[in-house]
Amino acid sequence: MAEVRIGVYVCHCGTNIAGTVDVEEVARYAKQLPSVVIARDYMFMCSDPGQALIKSDIKEFSLNRVVVASCSPRMHEPTFQRACQDAGLNPYLYEQANIREQCSWVHEGDEATQKAKALVEAAIRRVSHHEPLEIKEIPVNPNTLIIGGGIAGIQAALDIADSEHRVYLVEREPSIGGHMSQFDKTFPTLDCAACILTPKMTAVGQHPYIDLFTYSEVEEVSGYIGDFKVKIRKKARYVDEERCTGCGVCQEKCPWKTDSEFDIGLGKRKAIYFPFPQAVPMVPVIDREHCAYFLKGTCRACERFCEAKAINFEQTDQILELEVGAIIVATGYDLMDPTPITQYGYGRFDNVITSLQFERVVDCVGPTGGKILLKDGTQPKSIAIIHCVGSRDQNYHTYCSRVCCEYALKFSHLIKEEIPDADVYQMYIDMRCFGKGYEEFYDRLSHEGVNFIRGKVAKVTDEAVTDEERGRLVVIVEDTLLPGVIRVPVDMVILCAAIEPRSDAEEVAKLLKINRSIEGFFMERHPKLEPVSTPTEGIFIVGCCQGPKDIPDSVAQALGGASKVLSLISRGKVSLLAATAKVDEMRCHGCGRCEEICEFHAPKVINKNGVMVSEINEALCQGCGLCAVTCPAEAISIRHFTQEEIKSMVDVLTES
Amino acid sequence: MTLEDIIKETKTYYCLECGKCSSLCPISRHNPSYSPRLMLEKALTGFEGDLINDQELFSCLTCYNCSLKCPADVDYPLFMQKVRTLAFAQGRYGVPADSGILQSFMRLMLNPAIEQRRLEWLSDEYRISEKGNILFFVGCAPYFEFAFEDFEAGALNIAKDSLKILNTLGIEPMVLADEKCCGHDLLWTGDVESFRKLAEHNARIIKESGAKKIIFSCPEGYRTFKFDYPHYVDLDCELQHITEFLAENMGKGMLDFKEVKKKVTYQDPCRLGRHLGVYEQPRKLIEAIPGIELIEMEHTRDESICCGTSAWTNCDAYSKQIRTERLLEAKATGAEMLITACPKCQIHFRCAMVSKGEEKGPDVEMDVMDIVNLVASALEDNGSE
Amino acid sequence: MNGFNLSRSIRTRQLLQVRRMRKITEFEPRIIAFTCNWCAYSAADIAGISRFHYPANVRNIKVMCTGMIDPGYILRAFERGADGVLVAGCEIGDCHYISGNIKAKERVERLKKLLHILGLEDERLRLEWIDAGDGRKFADTIENMAGKLKKLGPSPFKKEVKS
Repeated sequence: MAEVRIGVYVCHCGTNIAGTVDVEEVARYAKQLPSVVIARDYMFMCSDPGQALIKSDIKEFSLNRVVVASCSPRMHEPTFQRACQDAGLNPYLYEQANIREQCSWVHEGDEATQKAKALVEAAIRRVSHHEPLEIKEIPVNPNTLIIGGGIAGIQAALDIADSEHRVYLVEREPSIGGHMSQFDKTFPTLDCAACILTPKMTAVGQHPYIDLFTYSEVEEVSGYIGDFKVKIRKKARYVDEERCTGCGVCQEKCPWKTDSEFDIGLGKRKAIYFPFPQAVPMVPVIDREHCAYFLKGTCRACERFCEAKAINFEQTDQILELEVGAIIVATGYDLMDPTPITQYGYGRFDNVITSLQFERVVDCVGPTGGKILLKDGTQPKSIAIIHCVGSRDQNYHTYCSRVCCEYALKFSHLIKEEIPDADVYQMYIDMRCFGKGYEEFYDRLSHEGVNFIRGKVAKVTDEAVTDEERGRLVVIVEDTLLPGVIRVPVDMVILCAAIEPRSDAEEVAKLLKINRSIEGFFMERHPKLEPVSTPTEGIFIVGCCQGPKDIPDSVAQALGGASKVLSLISRGKVSLLAATAKVDEMRCHGCGRCEEICEFHAPKVINKNGVMVSEINEALCQGCGLCAVTCPAEAISIRHFTQEEIKSMVDVLTES
Repeated sequence: MTLEDIIKETKTYYCLECGKCSSLCPISRHNPSYSPRLMLEKALTGFEGDLINDQELFSCLTCYNCSLKCPADVDYPLFMQKVRTLAFAQGRYGVPADSGILQSFMRLMLNPAIEQRRLEWLSDEYRISEKGNILFFVGCAPYFEFAFEDFEAGALNIAKDSLKILNTLGIEPMVLADEKCCGHDLLWTGDVESFRKLAEHNARIIKESGAKKIIFSCPEGYRTFKFDYPHYVDLDCELQHITEFLAENMGKGMLDFKEVKKKVTYQDPCRLGRHLGVYEQPRKLIEAIPGIELIEMEHTRDESICCGTSAWTNCDAYSKQIRTERLLEAKATGAEMLITACPKCQIHFRCAMVSKGEEKGPDVEMDVMDIVNLVASALEDNGSE
Repeated sequence: MNGFNLSRSIRTRQLLQVRRMRKITEFEPRIIAFTCNWCAYSAADIAGISRFHYPANVRNIKVMCTGMIDPGYILRAFERGADGVLVAGCEIGDCHYISGNIKAKERVERLKKLLHILGLEDERLRLEWIDAGDGRKFADTIENMAGKLKKLGPSPFKKEVKS
């Protein structure tokens, strides 16, 4: 083996590191360690001149290993690896010591400097064991799977398909559109949701590069970036999509009714139905649970009246197998069911409704034809809008749902527009109007005669203490700006319920092998710099599945996801993980423990000239190391994470 | 000690370079590139560096197959032991199995400050004495029990059944709570310093216990106490393997065996057989059990084949091949069970039977049991009455 | 929330100052933390970004997955004189490699049984699941572990023969 020549670079990161750690001392210490040829400290290693320093040193001092002591490797490891590569050094001959996040930012004084020295020494010892690794490339399948047909999924699909690459858009409901299709107007511009969404939905339905699978779910995902294999269950809708003309006679003639999911129980739909008038595709679905034919074996009214002969009661679920190079997850959110927050009386009082139900109430094609009505059909004269129901609440969700303040303002406006003399109360903790035009919208509403009460509502009750309250709902709240608990009698209460992760987010995360944050939303690779990537290469998350957000942000993320996918497709190939497992056949017993333990089916025992040995499929290997630890014969090692490397770090770090 | 001294002590000078060692070596049979003769030649021609850096220096099983038949009487295993000491001093120690956790335990045990909890398995079922003449050396069994949990090492059962048998004979031996590893594996991988510390500790506590006789269920401990401790410590005790002790006491009518209808074969552990020359007693003991039929394997007694690894080091593909070969030989006898007298043989054979891949190698599945367990099972129900 | 964290951080700083003053006499345990790239290591980064101060007794070693942590590494740390070892990974169910942390848990539990026989105090080997975003938990875990180890005193394996 050639002589190990290490260059060590200690970053000041302005004062972020140098303000706490004696960087010069760390560099001095590094300089006298074995195999270290040069050690320097520099203001900003990640800057161009910082990187240039590494590159010129590699040439001048014939360095064959580089250590940078700076921020977390999760931040700048790729930057410095690239710098090494530019100077002709294999990027795997690089090692980073994290002396910012895990040292200067959390410790002080001598202790911090001492720890920084130890971390740098450990990195130096480890880097000596590093081997150059070959980065293999595999082709990328140019097709993309998008899971979820809400605004985020739709936007991403259109953007990718417009580049003339195939998109498979999978939506579990009978129509695409998502939550946005349930909204009436959109804040802060008040343009109607349907007006801006419907053209996009239609475009998806007609796009030559989009294969739309509605009423379908992803069942299985295997493979890896560039080469995913996906199984999709296309649920039987009992209507032949090819034949159906979308005339709607079936829906009209169907004698069976049930609660409409789209109208959240406020309206009815038939057993064969279009979820809403602008549905895409314009093909109805038979709901087995409520269809007389499926329940009792008679009826078939829809079939009789369908001129296109599109009804097919024999239809079964179909399993489709697709191959894609990348996956965009846009599964959206669930609105929290406020029933458990018993003090607000949701489910107990007819006129306590959720924000999404109110969207349906004000929608001109909604169950009331756009009229704001109470359950008994009369017009409310006073309405309370309660903010932060389940959000910013340690008992439910600590996070802010981000959109409630704005849509509450929108509701106030819509109510005032229809019932100018109505009393509208906003009961809020803080008004958070952060987006473009939102503060102006708040300002506008402040002049529309809406009552803003700063206080978290304690209770909604029907127990009247005055005549005025009798037969009405009473909202009990402290107006913290005019201290004093007040009782506000109203006719209707709208609960701004929290945006929650989808109830099946856990299963979806498992299916796709992606992570979730504490609150249950899918987790991005980096909160700021990698907002749509996930730790699993080739899988991206956009829209509310990643966290609560408004339509502009969801669309922006969708565009981000689309651009990530297009850049993959445009390069046409992807580099495989280099730090994978390898087998030393002279040591292997062929016992198959590795084969049994691997979740990715990478190792396989084969008969090689009569001897059983394990073989690793590098395209499948994720480099997790389970097999290496499991192997009793020490026949498997993980490149870049060998026993010598880890043990050398252990040795340094226990002692210094 | 220099290489020169080692050559003298092990009589390597007499080597005739006849190659008989290589043709007898179980490793050479599977790995033609391994040759004891060439190892000796490196030493004799002064290539000390080559010898010490040889990947296979730690492969030798120290099974004594070669030395027993060597026309020049070269003590090759001892040569290995000593050369490994030189290698260890230069930071070489072979490839420890299971990433060296067993070696780590041995070294962690060195610390005088530790207070082991190695006898938690010892229930009221077993009768032991605080003071007495006879000491039972438990060995590493409590550690092996968990270290090889995944394929049931059975090591602790050997200790338990040994006590049960001794109790049946009316013996309530002393068992020491602060007994430490005998140091066998460290000695044979060149870590003499650690070995000496363990030897000193064990010798001291045994002396303090006042024991006159030590009984072992593990041949490695027995060998180490018998041949290696005298070079480091002064311990004047009678030493016996439990099979020797039982064979001696069997005739006294206290061991009343019930019938066990089984065909068995017997694996001579290298330490018990070739190192210590105990071949007859285990056989005598097995055959004393009515109903048992002992069928010998093709290679038996001093020609017996090692279980494939020693000192938890360099357990490689060839180790597995040796084990497979031995198990197939055992199966070929038509025996239902392979009896051995060393806990490590049992661990190695059981490990070799693990086959979790979809594609399988030769079927080596077979019951393996320690002789102590066999004897104890024959005593069951009869009790000591 | 912010007020709470701020006051917490001030308190930690005060504690640190007190600790520094007492340092001359106090035993400082060494903790080796094996942290998985995806969760615990990231949590340690978040602790830094959030400036959650914690005792400097810990040294992090990043591995891709807790399933990569060989029991041999943990023993090596003890052999070399570590007073405590922390194995920290993703919450069960959140493993980036599906079941690496479950296997790590089994291995650590088995190793604990072995270390128990050897007479090691249970607290010296700790297993924690720390979410990628949970910097608070990382800082608290170190604070807590360092405190416990101080009470326990140096590892019984300390200052012994090194190979």
